[in-house]
Amino acid sequence: MDVNKSDIKKVAVIGAGVMGSGIAAQIANAGIPVFLLDIVPKDTDNRNTIAESAIAKMLKVDPAPFMHKNNARLVTPGNIEDHLSWLADVDWVIEAVVEDLSIKQALYQKLDNICRPDTLVSSNTSTLPLKLLTRDMPDSFKQRFMITHFFNPPRYMRLLELVSSTQTRPELVDAVSRFADTHLGKNSVTCKDTPGFIGNRIGVYWLQYGLLEAIKLGLTVEQADAVMTVFGIPKTGVFGLLDLVGLDLIPHILDGMKLALRKDDAFHQVNTLPALVQRMIADGYTGRKGKGGFYRLNETGGKRVKESINLQTGDYQSSEKFALPDLPKTQDELRTFLSSDEIVCQYGWNVLSNTLAYSAGLIPEIADDIVAIDTAMRLGYNWKYGPFELLDRIGVDWFVDRLSAENRNVPPLLASRHNMYKVDSGKRLYVDLSGNYQPVRRTGGVLLLSDIKLSAPAVLENPSASLWDIGDGVACLEFHSKMNTLDMDSLAMVRQSIEKVKADFSALVIHNDADNFSAGANLTLLVQAIHTQDWPAVEQLIKQGQQTYRALKYAPFPVVAAPSGLALGGGCEILLHCDAIQAHAELYIGLVEVGVGLVPGWGGCKEYLRRWLEFSRRPGGPMPAIAQAFETIGMAKVSKSAAEAKEMLFLSTTDGITMNKDRLLADAKAKALKLVQDYTPPEHASFQLPGASARAAMDAVIHNYKLAGKITDYDVEISQQLADVLSGGLCDITEPLTEDDLLNLELNAFLHLVQQPGTLARLEHLLKTGKPLRN
Amino acid sequence: MKSVVIAGYCRSPFTPAQKGQLAKVRADDLVAQVVKGLIDKTGVNPQDIEDLILGCAFPEGEQGMNLARIAVHLVGLPASVAGTTINRFCGSSMQAIHNAAGMIQMNAGEVFICAGVESMSRVPMGGFNFLPNPDLYKTYPQAYISMGETAENLAAQYHIDRQTQDAFGLASQQKTAAAQQRGSFAAEIVPIKRPDGEIVQLDGCVRGNSTLQGLAELQPAFLKNGTVTAGTSSPITDGAAAVLVCSEEYADAHGLEKLARIKAIAVSGCAPEIMGIGPVGATHKALQRAGLTLQDIDIVELNEAFAAQSLSVLKDLPIPLEKLNLDGGAIALGHPLGASGARITGKAASLLKRENKRFALATLCVGGGQGMATILEAI
Repeated sequence: MDVNKSDIKKVAVIGAGVMGSGIAAQIANAGIPVFLLDIVPKDTDNRNTIAESAIAKMLKVDPAPFMHKNNARLVTPGNIEDHLSWLADVDWVIEAVVEDLSIKQALYQKLDNICRPDTLVSSNTSTLPLKLLTRDMPDSFKQRFMITHFFNPPRYMRLLELVSSTQTRPELVDAVSRFADTHLGKNSVTCKDTPGFIGNRIGVYWLQYGLLEAIKLGLTVEQADAVMTVFGIPKTGVFGLLDLVGLDLIPHILDGMKLALRKDDAFHQVNTLPALVQRMIADGYTGRKGKGGFYRLNETGGKRVKESINLQTGDYQSSEKFALPDLPKTQDELRTFLSSDEIVCQYGWNVLSNTLAYSAGLIPEIADDIVAIDTAMRLGYNWKYGPFELLDRIGVDWFVDRLSAENRNVPPLLASRHNMYKVDSGKRLYVDLSGNYQPVRRTGGVLLLSDIKLSAPAVLENPSASLWDIGDGVACLEFHSKMNTLDMDSLAMVRQSIEKVKADFSALVIHNDADNFSAGANLTLLVQAIHTQDWPAVEQLIKQGQQTYRALKYAPFPVVAAPSGLALGGGCEILLHCDAIQAHAELYIGLVEVGVGLVPGWGGCKEYLRRWLEFSRRPGGPMPAIAQAFETIGMAKVSKSAAEAKEMLFLSTTDGITMNKDRLLADAKAKALKLVQDYTPPEHASFQLPGASARAAMDAVIHNYKLAGKITDYDVEISQQLADVLSGGLCDITEPLTEDDLLNLELNAFLHLVQQPGTLARLEHLLKTGKPLRN
Repeated sequence: MKSVVIAGYCRSPFTPAQKGQLAKVRADDLVAQVVKGLIDKTGVNPQDIEDLILGCAFPEGEQGMNLARIAVHLVGLPASVAGTTINRFCGSSMQAIHNAAGMIQMNAGEVFICAGVESMSRVPMGGFNFLPNPDLYKTYPQAYISMGETAENLAAQYHIDRQTQDAFGLASQQKTAAAQQRGSFAAEIVPIKRPDGEIVQLDGCVRGNSTLQGLAELQPAFLKNGTVTAGTSSPITDGAAAVLVCSEEYADAHGLEKLARIKAIAVSGCAPEIMGIGPVGATHKALQRAGLTLQDIDIVELNEAFAAQSLSVLKDLPIPLEKLNLDGGAIALGHPLGASGARITGKAASLLKRENKRFALATLCVGGGQGMATILEAI
């Protein structure tokens, strides 16, 4: 199957609220033209004002809905009074209007008359059941209708819930889930037509339980939210997430669930709106969109102070960070944590056990299997583990024993005390309702490193990195240290992998399936060397990195990197040495070394400068390339998407972008196999640089920036060192420099800076606080 | 000596670089349309033109390759018309006029087109390959000093405070907007046709609704805790201007409309770090050569590079405000570097006629530390 071929070439979104406009932006991010329509408000000259304002607003907000500002041009704003006729021409209409049945049905009547018979119509409703939406519609409409429920924000949340009826034409469901997969980067989960589908059914229960229990046990909101991180739930926890969602929505959601769910559903036991929340809503404390919520930023005396609400008194007080002494990691540690008498642990157990038991009781009501529920909670709520994966982490047996000891009901799914998942003959299996194991199915073309790891041991392995056989003669180098920072072990693994691939494989892919490709070099080691003034060790660190990356660049086989998330500093530098990159659309890449008082030293200056020198679409002469590299590295600029990375030349024009993270490895492997035919390593680069003249030009820029207060004293020193590297040092433009010359300049600049107190201060500040120091 | 006259002036609309209406027009296409407009407007016989002298501050890229000669071909002038591109930064096209005047008096031609152009959208200030002499940069960095810094230096040296600068910036906007509303620019603007076929005929930089309060809120643009802001600096601009310079005899013989006689010219250098004071030295020289005093001057066109710079010049050259920049100035109108010299000289000549006055002064400062002045006399 050609993943780039799609039956959907033009889309319309009706309703330009946060969800509708965000969905339209993601469709534009896929390069697909989309109409965005809304109503014509009263008393206005501009009849498209709602859609136009939505687009304008999306160009300003952060995190940005658009991956590149130019993508906004693919969104054509309009209104439903004048422009419904446009919909005769589209393949998919997404309705994202207000959650009002009669308004939706009236719109569907019009759509049914205008749209082609083969056009799919879907609703982004999160509360209304499909059977109600299509109640009075003709069969012809029911056959082309389904629910496609996106999560907020649509660009960043990877879940798409699909609900279809028995009448919906299967080929339309296929077309949408294929398009969502390859073009929108969404994993579709098939849901039943039940209230809240999967994500919100479990999510609302969990949030309500967490809210009520924290009030009951007298926890602070910081404590409650911190406990959730033990289970791999994002640090927004319960209260931070409620602030994001908006407190004013809580009563509506609860009322909707109350009406729709069966009387015996456990939801009804947590269906209480606490007086505190009622008061907060009435006072305008509706969360981040209002004056604040459980947390708020309070400005007193020109200073912004983070405050949180006291759940008992309702008063705001300065937010006290709560850190758990030790984050439990192993099964034993988790069990100890959940068994402790401490109030935060009791809270953890109560919220978790009820949420897990509730989830286990919802099969087959809301989904056919546990995989669907786990996927939905991971991708829709950013949980690291789904409920059933969590059950395996603490142990089903132990969990059931504890439920029994507490005289609580044990859901039938858990009664047989089977593990939820197991691995058999290298395949991942899940348990079904009758206690049998079924294989976890992957969509065609998806290749996951986590699956490969189940099937065979690593080819090579050390504490920071491993090499895996991903089939067809391709090996995959995986970093797996904390935040995938690069240390001596990582570099050693790169070198060993080069030898191994030379002998036994035909291509190498560099990829890992963590959230972030690499946060850069391990700075702790560097700081230790600085403290002991062990400059030869620092020099060794730089030279090893330079030699390793260079060996990678000139290896006699193609090297394709497949990064996702952050690729910073040394993590960016290794990418710059690869033959090709297949990037996940969400790539945040940059050479950020100046933030810690350094310049890129592992060939990053050299390779990034080379990209600009060889870039044909810029005015001639040496300075524009140098100026671009100087600005990007000097300001530590980081792309906010792969599309931006392309514009910044971190990616070259021939590098690919994959929307769905699950397809990244497969796409990179295919790219590597393509390069294997007739592969020759790149030619050695030479650099014609203006030397002192360029240095003087950059000094003048540095002077002006300092004057205008845009950079600090120590920024000046770092920038001058960077200028020295990028200008070519003491060279003349008539005598080209080699790569070695550039690497030496990097080394000298690095060694100079590393011995300055300003650099040490920056390094230590970042390691201590996680934030850059501007000294 | 022959008497030299200005016998025609026109210009393109001045529009903001990058965001403005002329950003997609090449400099050569832009100036060619203005020169064509000048020829049509004056009715001069192209066969008689000796030379097209074209000022441009950063003559490289699309502005390179002897832009003047390229413009000759684009206008469709006879191949016998020569073309030279000259550079004195912001004074480039006033220098074009000075060169022509000198050549006429040397009997080296009768009719000259003196033009200037800058597409600051398409060729950045400083050029694409700013490569200073590293030794000079070490020993005498002010040779390459940024214009904003020179304005701050003058503000400090001449004690021009923020409020006074803001008031000057506001006055520039108000005078320019008023002139625009009166239609005072209609006669001098040549509509420009863009590659997409659109016609541009309005100046685009003017912010007539500026307020003192709005100006006061702007951050300093060049110096932390400084006084010079975007509101008191001339904006980077795209534009072109041209004047017809010929001997008075030729104008009379061919029935050309004479706007003014060139009475005296001067250039002078000053310290680069206070380049904005350049008009003072140049004006004193020109006045002396003309045998006049400042009091004799009725009309002044002083190029407003910065409010701080203009106000410093006015401290040394006490010019009554009612004589100064009658139709506004560069802070509001824009400052396409190569074109401004021709604009203010042509404008001063037109104003002499319109206001029915006797003597006019056009003067400007030049980056690197220079000033230029031209004194005109009504005929």
